[in-house]
Amino acid sequence: MLYKYIERLSGIPGVSGNEEQVRYEILRMIEGKCLYKVDALGNILAFKKGRETPKQKLMISAHMDEVGLIVTYIEDDGLLRFTTVGGIDKRTIPGKSVLIGETFGVIGMKAMHMKSAEEREKAADLDTMYLDIGAKDRDEARKLVHLGDRAVFCSQYAEFGDGFLRGRALDNRVGCALAAALIESDLPYDCHFAFTVQEETGTTGGKTAAAQIAPEIAIVLETTTACDIPDTPPAKVVCALKKGPVLSFMDRGTIYDRDLYRRALTIAAEKGIACQPKAGVYGGNEARSVQVAGEGAKVLAVSVPCRYLHTPSCVVNRFDVDETRKLLPELIGAFGR
Amino acid sequence: MSTAKMILNLCDAVGVSGFEDRAAQTAWGMLAQLGPCETTQLGSLICRVHEAGKGAPHVMLTAHLDQIGMIVSYIEENGFLRVSNCGGIDRSLVLAAQVQVHTENGPLDGVICTIPPHLNPDDGKLPKLEDLCIDVGMTGEEAREKIALGDRVTICGQARELPGGLVCAPSIDDRAGCASVILAAKRLAAAKLGCTLSVALVSMEEVGSQGAYTAAVKLTPTHCVAVDVSFAHTPDAPRAKCGLMGRGAMVGIAPVLDNGMFKQMKKLAKEAGIPYQTEVMGGATGTDADAVAISGAGVRCALLSIPIKYMHTPIEMVCVTDVEAVADLIVSYVRAEFGGDGNAL
Repeated sequence: MLYKYIERLSGIPGVSGNEEQVRYEILRMIEGKCLYKVDALGNILAFKKGRETPKQKLMISAHMDEVGLIVTYIEDDGLLRFTTVGGIDKRTIPGKSVLIGETFGVIGMKAMHMKSAEEREKAADLDTMYLDIGAKDRDEARKLVHLGDRAVFCSQYAEFGDGFLRGRALDNRVGCALAAALIESDLPYDCHFAFTVQEETGTTGGKTAAAQIAPEIAIVLETTTACDIPDTPPAKVVCALKKGPVLSFMDRGTIYDRDLYRRALTIAAEKGIACQPKAGVYGGNEARSVQVAGEGAKVLAVSVPCRYLHTPSCVVNRFDVDETRKLLPELIGAFGR
Repeated sequence: MSTAKMILNLCDAVGVSGFEDRAAQTAWGMLAQLGPCETTQLGSLICRVHEAGKGAPHVMLTAHLDQIGMIVSYIEENGFLRVSNCGGIDRSLVLAAQVQVHTENGPLDGVICTIPPHLNPDDGKLPKLEDLCIDVGMTGEEAREKIALGDRVTICGQARELPGGLVCAPSIDDRAGCASVILAAKRLAAAKLGCTLSVALVSMEEVGSQGAYTAAVKLTPTHCVAVDVSFAHTPDAPRAKCGLMGRGAMVGIAPVLDNGMFKQMKKLAKEAGIPYQTEVMGGATGTDADAVAISGAGVRCALLSIPIKYMHTPIEMVCVTDVEAVADLIVSYVRAEFGGDGNAL
C-alpha cells in the first residue's frame, strides 16, 4: 500500500499554493482513520488516537507542495514566460516538457547548431527561457493558460535497478505517504499530523499548522539531498541512499533538539534500524517554522535520502523508505513516554 | 493513418546512430507494399519502388533513420555509467533528464546525474558530457552484467500531438523526413513513371552520413531528393538563419545542390500552390545531400527541409502540414520531370 501511495502521490501536480489535488488524494487515504480538518491555508490537520496519551504533545508534519513553474506573461507570439516556484536549478530546466493543468508545453531554446562556442558552455538564464504550448499567438494561448497557472515537469515514474524509485514530486510525497501509512497503523501514543502547504516557498503551511496544534515535540518528515554520485568528495556526499533515514542535527534553517537527535540515533541502533546523520549543514525545511510556533517545540527531522532533489527525476530507494517506516513508530513510542 | 500518427509511430522506434534496426523495422512495415525492401551492410533501408530499365534516370528519395543519443563508454565501480555523445548533444538539456539504456535484453531506466546546487558553484557553466554520469540504480557488478559498453542511451520524451497540427517527440529529426519520403513514395508507386525510383532511409547521418553515402553508391541514382529538418524560427534565434514553422517545405539552395532541381521545385511549388520557403546555405548543407552529391560519379541533389523547433532535443517539434508539403513537392517534382508513359526517357 505504501508504495502505491508513493507512486500515486508523486504523480499529482501540487506546486506551492496549488495543493488541492494532493490534499484530495491524501484525504481519501486517511478518511475514516483519524479526525481531521482542512485549515484556512489548505493544511490538513489530523489527529490519530493512540494506545496512550503522550506526556508531551506530538506532531508529525510532511509538506504536500512541490517546486514547479508559474506563468508570468504571455508574449504576442503565444510563447509563455515563467518563473520558478521554489528552488529549481536553472540548468535542469531547458529541454524538459511540462504540464500546465491539462495543457502540454515544452521549454525550448534555439538549436545548439546556432549557439556560439560561449553560449554552448553557459547555462541559460531563467528570463531568457520560454514555454511553448504550440499556440500561434497570444489569443490562442490565453484560451489554454492564464497568468499564475502552475506548471509541473512531465516525468515517468519508474522502478529501476535495485529497489530505486524515480518520480517527480517524491520530495515530499514520500513523506506524505509515510505519514498517511502511520495514520493507518496502530500507534503507541496519540499523535497529531500536519500535511502542509507552501513549504517550498517559505515554510508557510508548517508555521500556521504548528500554531494551531501547538506541539511540544515535532518530527518533520522530509526528503533530503543525497549526493552519493561519482566525483563527489566524501565530505560533501551529505547522505547516501540505501543507508536508512537521515537524521539532522543542523541545517541552514534549524538547529535541531540535541536530545531528540541523540535519542533517535540510539533507538535506531537498539532496534537494528539503519539510519545516518545528515553529514553537512545544507538546505532546510519547515522545522524552522515549527520550532518557533507558539511557545516553541523541540524538533527533529527524519528524511528519506533523495538524489536529484527538485528535478523531474527525484530518486529514492525502497530500503530507506522501509527503514524510515520502521523507525517512526519507535520514535513516537519513545518521545511519547 | 494520419500523418501525425505516422510520424509518432516512426518516432516510437529507437534508432541511435549505428543501431537503427528498430527504426528500420517500423519503416520497412510502411514501405513493404511499395516494392522489394532490403537493408544495406551499414543498416540503411532500401525500397525499390519503380524500375524503369537500364539507361533511365534514377531518382533516390532519402531521409535518415538515425537519431542522436549517447553511448555507454565506461561503467564505474559503483555502477554509474559514463557516456559519450552519438551526434550533437546539447549539454544544456541533459541534467536530471530521464533516460533509457538500450541493452541487448531491452531498455533500462535511469537518470542523468545532476550535482545538487550546494556543491556546485553557481558559475553559470554547464558540465561537460564526459563529467556527467548516468544513474541506473545498480551496483557495479549488476551494471556490468546487464549493460555492455557500446549500448546506446536516449533521453525520454513525451511523444504527442499538440493543438494546431503540431507533433512533439524526440527523434522527429529525421523521422518526420522519413514520413515525407514514405508519403511521397506511396503516391508515386501508383503513378506512371519514366524513371527508376528508390527510397533509401539511411543510417548514421548524425555521425557523418556514412549510411547515405554507401546507399547512394549502391543505388547509383542520377537524381536525389534528400529530406531533412532545418531550423524553424524561435525568438532567441537569428531570423535570417531560420525558416518558419507551418509555412511549408524549405527548398534548399547551396553550392553542393543542383540549381536546376532547385529552380524546378520552386516553380512547381508555385504552380501547384504548395507552401514553400527558400533556405540558403553557403557551402555544405550539413545533411546527407552533401554525401550523396559526391557519391560515385556525382549525383544531382535537391534538399527539402521540414522546419523544426528545438532540433536535437527531446522536445523536437514540427507542423504536420510542413511534412505533407514536402511530400507534395516531391510527388509534383517526380511526376513533372519523369512522369509519362513508363518508358525510359
